[in-house]
Amino acid sequence: MSLLHSSERPFEVVHDFLFDRTRSIRQDLSMQNVTGDQVIHMYERMVKFHIISHHHLHRSCGTPNIASISHLNMEQLMKALTTLFNLYEVNRASNSTYKNEAEFRSFYLLLLMGSNNQGESLSLWLKRVPSVIMKSKEICFARRILRYFRLGNYKRFIHTTEDEASFLQYCIIEPYINEVRMLALSYVSYGGYKLQPYPLVRLSTLLMMKESDTESLCVDCGFEISTDDGSEKGLVSTKQSVICKPTKGVQKYYPLVSAKIERLSAELSELL
Amino acid sequence: MAAYMSMGEAHRRINEYLNRFSDAVSYQDGKSLSRLLSISSDSATLLSLADALNTFQSCYSGILTVVLCKHVMLFIYVEIFICFADANRVISQSDKYSQYGDILVPIFRAVRSYRLRNLVESYLAFEKASNAFIQEFRNWDSAWALEALYVVAYEIRILAERADVELASIGKNPEKLKGAGSFLMKVFGVLAGKGPKRVGALYVTCQLFKIYFKLGTVHLCRSVIRSIETARIFDFEEFPVRDKVTYMYYTGRLEVYNENFPAADHKLSYALTHCTERKEANIRMILKYLIPVKLSIGILPKTSLLEKYNLNEYSDVILALKRGDLRLLRHALNEHEDRFLRSGVYLVLEKLELQVYQRLVKKIYIIQKLKDPNKAHQIKLDVIVKALQWLEMDMDVDEVECIMSILIYKNLVKGYFAHKSKVAVLSKQDPFPKLNGKPVNS
Repeated sequence: MSLLHSSERPFEVVHDFLFDRTRSIRQDLSMQNVTGDQVIHMYERMVKFHIISHHHLHRSCGTPNIASISHLNMEQLMKALTTLFNLYEVNRASNSTYKNEAEFRSFYLLLLMGSNNQGESLSLWLKRVPSVIMKSKEICFARRILRYFRLGNYKRFIHTTEDEASFLQYCIIEPYINEVRMLALSYVSYGGYKLQPYPLVRLSTLLMMKESDTESLCVDCGFEISTDDGSEKGLVSTKQSVICKPTKGVQKYYPLVSAKIERLSAELSELL
Repeated sequence: MAAYMSMGEAHRRINEYLNRFSDAVSYQDGKSLSRLLSISSDSATLLSLADALNTFQSCYSGILTVVLCKHVMLFIYVEIFICFADANRVISQSDKYSQYGDILVPIFRAVRSYRLRNLVESYLAFEKASNAFIQEFRNWDSAWALEALYVVAYEIRILAERADVELASIGKNPEKLKGAGSFLMKVFGVLAGKGPKRVGALYVTCQLFKIYFKLGTVHLCRSVIRSIETARIFDFEEFPVRDKVTYMYYTGRLEVYNENFPAADHKLSYALTHCTERKEANIRMILKYLIPVKLSIGILPKTSLLEKYNLNEYSDVILALKRGDLRLLRHALNEHEDRFLRSGVYLVLEKLELQVYQRLVKKIYIIQKLKDPNKAHQIKLDVIVKALQWLEMDMDVDEVECIMSILIYKNLVKGYFAHKSKVAVLSKQDPFPKLNGKPVNS
């Protein structure tokens, strides 16, 4: 796993190598029909690999090649997670409760944010989750984040993520943060007072972005920035109710302004 | 176990069943035929047949023991003679029955096994019989045997479900229900033609829906739905009402999962209006899904409806919407969480929060209007913060501003908010548009 962090080779090459290795391991394990603590531990590490890959791939949103690698990675992530959950269930007879189960279950919930038929997937999946896990802080967190996302509550979505997410949870949520930010800009622009552009400084704090990034995002989405009193920039209100996609094909990545997330990111190698 | 039965009696019962079967086919009596195939019904006919078959079988094995003991008793000789003519031979030795041997032999096995509670055995035998039945069904003219086909479709699902329970209990992989699904797809194919048998397709579709919903492979419904709704051979109005109601119920539920409320409303309402009044359990099932849909488009049911059909889990949700009480909504969702999650309506109900906020702001507006009609349309965000605090909901001004911006964007509130003065300014005309049967804008 430390291979992932060696900066000598490009990420895609390393990812490819590990991707193949982990997939073969999983195939072997399923053929042998092995279960048990060790296997669970292995699957947990493989899921972590896929999540971190997902994170890296999302940040390096450049070549079209990345999109297909990303898609394959996501597929394998879901497969590994599903098998992991079966393993948890099968091994539940023995008294151990796996200390990581709640967090890994929460990953599945967070991954549902992107799906179209959340209702069906969610209700089917939640039926099988033991109630101890349902009450865990990780699951409660994931459900709240899902609720904020669905309602469009940009403030809580971003701030709760920053405040409470573990690094791996953050990796899954990150791609949605920009989506929520664009939604926020639309809401603020649509509902704001047209004689008073919404101060970018304020918006940046709300969306946890650097002010320059906020300005870039506004411009990318087709919103107008005004300079108020010669110094303060603001988002101009319009009754334009359509959320525009950024003009470039692929979404640009705007980091979350947070000392905590940066620190977690740096501590990444410890996690594995 | 059954009381002692003589071999003669057992033989008589088996013959009686066989006679009834061949008569049903000869006279094209679908109803009688269907009665002979409903294994899980534990009808008197089938129970007595099962006992007869078991008598034959146990006598057979009893003889072997006797022979091994080398005690030959004269009075057994007659019994031995009859025993060796086991049930299958009764079938094959008669022209009348042997042409249906492929159906009857496995049916006998299925009936026997079911009685002995060997559910996997029973399912496997029944599946074999069903395959043979379908082959014959294809060749029969007209749709006389549809009722029997319905029973076969129903039984295959029920027996598969029970077989899976048995498999799971012994630690094996429960895959019989999935197999039943494949079989029914085949049956659907047989019915999807131009002849009169095609009206049976909707019943089979509904059995498939039940299987897919049970297995959680709901996405498989799509291809069957497509066949029913786009194929030119099918005219939806031709199908029996009972099947149309069931079909609309399940497709309505799919629309609920996809949060496609206008379509869900249309389908579930169809199911409701066409469902007979006395089938209260079915009405309750439809309402369980229709109520959250109606709430999402701004229509609140009367309390009397909830009480009549025992759907009181929705009472607090409705009260929260009427009062603008966010705390009550969250509490109601929490209290009945398991139930709402299991039925799949939890997320739909959660989204009602926006309408609850709308109601709360409207109440503040009404109160302000009473105090000073000229200033009522200006609501300080702090006032909303206070109102929420009073409901034990902790939100700061930023979040309230966020919520207001959502309400305005989704047309639940008409107006704008001024960030600097922290005030929401409402439109003087119709500031709280009603949903009027349309879902909240996305």
